Amino acid sequence: MAATDQPIAQPYDFLEQQFHTKQRGLWAQAWQRLLRNRLAVAAGVILLVILTVSLAADFSRTVQRYDPTVPDFQATEQNPSRDHWLGTDTLGRDLWARLLQGTLFSLKIGLGTQVIVLLIGVTIGMAAALAGRYSDTILMWLTDLAYAFPDLLAIILLRQVLLGRDWPIIGEGDPQIPGFNGVLLVTVIAISFVSWTTVARLVRGQMLSIKEQDYVAAARAMGASPWRVVRVHMLPNTLSAVIVSATFGIPLAIFAEATLGFIGLGVPPPNASLGSLIGSGLDSIQVHPVQLIWPTLMVATLMLCFTFLGDGLRDALDPRTRH
Amino acid sequence: MLAYTVRRVLAMIPLIVAIATITFVLMHAVEGGPFDSDKPLPPATLENLKKRYGLDDPLPVQYLNYLKNLAQFDFGISIANNRNITDIIRERMGVSIQLGIATFLFATVLGLGLGIFSSLNQNGIGDYAGVFIATIGAAMPSIVLAPILTIVFAVKLGWFNVLSSDYGFTDWFRGDFSNWRQVVLPTVALGFLPMAFIARITRASMLEVLRQDYVRTARAKGLAEFAVVIRHAARNAMIPVLTVLGPIFAGLITGSLVIETLFAIPGLGREFVRSVLIRDYGLIMGVTVFYAVVIAFMNLVVDLLYGFADPRIRY
Repeated sequence: MAATDQPIAQPYDFLEQQFHTKQRGLWAQAWQRLLRNRLAVAAGVILLVILTVSLAADFSRTVQRYDPTVPDFQATEQNPSRDHWLGTDTLGRDLWARLLQGTLFSLKIGLGTQVIVLLIGVTIGMAAALAGRYSDTILMWLTDLAYAFPDLLAIILLRQVLLGRDWPIIGEGDPQIPGFNGVLLVTVIAISFVSWTTVARLVRGQMLSIKEQDYVAAARAMGASPWRVVRVHMLPNTLSAVIVSATFGIPLAIFAEATLGFIGLGVPPPNASLGSLIGSGLDSIQVHPVQLIWPTLMVATLMLCFTFLGDGLRDALDPRTRH
Repeated sequence: MLAYTVRRVLAMIPLIVAIATITFVLMHAVEGGPFDSDKPLPPATLENLKKRYGLDDPLPVQYLNYLKNLAQFDFGISIANNRNITDIIRERMGVSIQLGIATFLFATVLGLGLGIFSSLNQNGIGDYAGVFIATIGAAMPSIVLAPILTIVFAVKLGWFNVLSSDYGFTDWFRGDFSNWRQVVLPTVALGFLPMAFIARITRASMLEVLRQDYVRTARAKGLAEFAVVIRHAARNAMIPVLTVLGPIFAGLITGSLVIETLFAIPGLGREFVRSVLIRDYGLIMGVTVFYAVVIAFMNLVVDLLYGFADPRIRY
């Protein structure tokens, strides 16, 4: 009796039964590979620690005991002590506090620049690859032009042009994006405008080769709209190369900012950036070299860590270098 | 070959005009003029000054004059010290070229040597040492390296006198190398990053080439190891290195802005930084266009060299 109640054959539920084993997609695999790279993991951890500490500096008295901008003329040019962990500068400002302020500034520059670079670079690279021959010619000529412009010169010029006027978001007065004041935004924009070319070329090249792939032809044959093909099938495949390029772009941006700060085109005086710290440290190199050592070490650490992280990401994400 | 060269040189012209245009627009968009000072100038004086430097014409006229003068390599007069900008560039260039040549030699010779050495000792102690130096180099841009070198070698050890305020420029082409003590540290500081870069590329491409059949053939017919490495392997390994020489050269020019400011070297880079700080329009535009031309020209030279190194490439 009971047997007749039951259907004779159950439809086999593929989704439930077969494929419910642990799935490991492209990103999960890349993540695993990254974790196996000890150097990259160490670099990532160090960067996270630096970021956390410099972010916490403004909120916690334990992390930062002195205000980075307040001079103390009773305690100038001190060597590291229990009170001033890294010593004080010529005006008696705490070097630990100033180092953290400068580091945070540099990190904001590095990350902020990459956001803008990715926006411009991906858009232009995509437009050049997908929007027809004329737009390709024009956009690539623009890219070549931006590439031919001497980097630092262009950054300095743009910075001078953008500074000191009342732009919508950048503004002159209070920062409209919390934590991003006018000088910082201007510097970010100036650096971005010379560094988007790499990403644009990269994305264009990737898009041109992906466009010819079979899976794109298949998607189009099944009637996917052009926008869907780009969004679902093409963009994700350029992503790994773009991420790697962005990671390598961060130290370059930090270096560019440090250079600006060093030649006196950084943040206005009471505030500190790593470049301006190196610059003022160099002035007192004969009497108080400690002041120069910390920011120099910090720049080196940041650049080294981002380079290692970038190397690790490239090995993890780029299918061609898989072993 | 000749046709290709001519075509490339002609293609440079619109690029340079575009760069000159952008620089012009940017310069005139900068807030504040060169005659700004704490005490405002009398209007009549300002009027005369503007007339003297052609700043009273409408912008399009200024632009056309600027382009016309540019075509004759005339960059106008510097507002800061009332001298012909072409003269200033010519005068300062010598110092920068000297530093550039020293750095370029340092970076290529040492980079190639280190790369070849690393590749021959693959995975040995020598290789690790080479890779270590190359990695450290990547994290030591001039701005980091220069202070460290100064502290160690100039302040503590006192081997080089970079801190004296006057940099003595001597003409190397006439065999006068007496200022070498002042050149060493800037050269190392500026050249370390490109050196590391070249070393890394050389190592990778040497490892590739050493595995080729023709290297094995050369060894099998009993050639000395030196001949195999230099004549058969290194020459072919040079090709990828050549492609990065263009960007490296551009990097050297940019880097010289910092190094010259840092070591108080009276070259073109320091002049540029100074001209930006005092808004000397003419000088800024002149130096920018000049640098752009130099970089474009060097890229052309590298592309032509590429053809010599790899005969399979035809133009």
